[in-house]
Amino acid sequence: MSLKHVAVPDAWFNRLVIGGVALGFLALLATGLAAYQSVRENQFHSSRVNHSIKVEQAIADFLAARDRAELGRRGYLLTGIAAHAETYYDARKRLFPLLARIRDLTRDNPRQQANVARLSALTQSDLPFMDRSVALVRSGRRDEGVRLFRDSVGRRAITVLRAQAAVMINEEDRLLAIRDAATAGSIRLFYVTVAAAGAMLLLVGAGSIWVITGYTRSLAASRDVLRLLNTDLEGAVRERTTDLQRANDEIQRFAYIVSHDLRSPLVNVMGFTSELESAAQRLRAMMDKVDAEAPHLADKDARIAANEDLPEAIRFIRTSTEKMDRLINAILRLSREGRRQITPEKLDMNAVFRGIADTHRHQLDEKEVDFSIASRLPSIVSDRLAIEQILGNIVENAIKYMLPGRRGRIEIRGRIEGARAIFEIADNGRGVEARDHERIFDLFRRSGVQDQPGEGIGLAHTRALAYRLSGTISVDSELGRGATFRINLPVILVVEQEA
Amino acid sequence: MNNHQPVNIIMIEDDEGHARLIEKNIRRAGISNDIHHFRDGTSALEYLHEAPDGPTHNGPALILLDLNLPDMTGTDILTRIKADGNPLKRTPVVVLTTTDDKIEIQRCYDLGCNVYITKPVNYESFADAIRQLGLFLSVIQVPDLPEANG
Repeated sequence: MSLKHVAVPDAWFNRLVIGGVALGFLALLATGLAAYQSVRENQFHSSRVNHSIKVEQAIADFLAARDRAELGRRGYLLTGIAAHAETYYDARKRLFPLLARIRDLTRDNPRQQANVARLSALTQSDLPFMDRSVALVRSGRRDEGVRLFRDSVGRRAITVLRAQAAVMINEEDRLLAIRDAATAGSIRLFYVTVAAAGAMLLLVGAGSIWVITGYTRSLAASRDVLRLLNTDLEGAVRERTTDLQRANDEIQRFAYIVSHDLRSPLVNVMGFTSELESAAQRLRAMMDKVDAEAPHLADKDARIAANEDLPEAIRFIRTSTEKMDRLINAILRLSREGRRQITPEKLDMNAVFRGIADTHRHQLDEKEVDFSIASRLPSIVSDRLAIEQILGNIVENAIKYMLPGRRGRIEIRGRIEGARAIFEIADNGRGVEARDHERIFDLFRRSGVQDQPGEGIGLAHTRALAYRLSGTISVDSELGRGATFRINLPVILVVEQEA
Repeated sequence: MNNHQPVNIIMIEDDEGHARLIEKNIRRAGISNDIHHFRDGTSALEYLHEAPDGPTHNGPALILLDLNLPDMTGTDILTRIKADGNPLKRTPVVVLTTTDDKIEIQRCYDLGCNVYITKPVNYESFADAIRQLGLFLSVIQVPDLPEANG
């Protein structure tokens, strides 16, 4: 199973979820707004309805006052009792304020304003007759007053007025109906909005649940795959480590066998070269004897062969085989070092470096090299023999490659960085060219002027040892300016138990 | 202990050159005992145990043994010779090989090897070692075999 197979398109999913949530919030907001709007509208409509009722009330009050005035007038005309006249005047003075109130209330409605104006005009045209009829009765001219009253009855003044008021009330009723309908409409709108928002919320909720369920499922699937891969990974790492271990063992064994089997013929080459040498020596003695006793038998070529060619050839064979022997020994040593058991112990590095200085005291004194060790170097837990070999090798190189004519100096420094201890061996010798900084750690490779004996094994060996101690080694140098070898080691070396 | 029978030297060495060099140097040391040379383990073991003129049936012997043989390792031969009940158990064995591996040397001594000599590539030391071995051979007392004793 591959991870790609269950990968969740995250961008797509995120957009979907954010979109869904936003939609849900929008729906809620819309519901709230709709509720607020409809409540406001409702309030407005209610106030309008109240207003209409007030207008109707005012019209009714006006009609009542007008009737009461008529009642007072008629009673006075009939009986001449002053109390009736009082009733008339009392009702009459309320008529115009009531009209004004109606006008005020219907100020926003031009149609009602026109109606009020008409009502007002009718009242004003009636009132002089009424006033006069009452005044005539009061001044004793009752008959004239009654005649005037008949006139107004003949003009059907009251009926006309009532009809006009009815028109106004009808108008208000019409408005009331419209306002009621508007209120019902706004409530209906509210319900529709709430229903739509609810449906949308339901939809968004269901969608979100669907998407999240899918996402969770694919997450669980990818987690399972990851767990599987993880388990596999551990297995794979173990397998690779075993493979590596096996390959390493094989190389070690190979190096060991090769160096042994190479040595065997070398013994023969060396041995028979020596035999050849002693034979050549006898030949040379023979030639000398011939030269002395019978010079005429001596052949020039034979003399050259015995005295020069043979010894030269033998010398070359010998130096070459000796070199080859050293190389084979080096391979053998490396392979053996790789198989040696590492036993970590606590090391006082100051003591270790003092020991190394003591070992090389003779060379240090001979070349007049100052050797200084920083006080209180960090202590580490590592393999004593390997550490001594590594550091001894570097110190030896430092002494070996001092510049003639400059007072030699070797400084040892050390510090702790986290779980690593770093030691520096700095010299002021001839240094290493930048292009050789890595190369000098290769087997059989050397740097600079080849004026010192050596096979190019020491640093390769040193690096191999450092690796075995889970460490690294590097050089920082400039030609002619000295070199600083830096060894980075774990403060506490833990040896992996080899299976 | 008597020593009237000459000691046979049995050399088990697959490398012709090594064998020749060893023989030369033994002779140079003044040792004139017979040297029987075998190039592989099988024929050497057969000679050691079966041959009528071999050490089991005929007189004392000293064995020079190389560890790297084509058909078996020298330690196999050593194990066989030094095994309990083998009539050659007390026969001295000199292991002469290129290996200077400490573990290998220890193992040979554990198996009952009497002397272990590393063949040095440096011929002078090699010749020295063999010559000293020759001197050693001239003075050592080799135990008689039970049969030869009777």
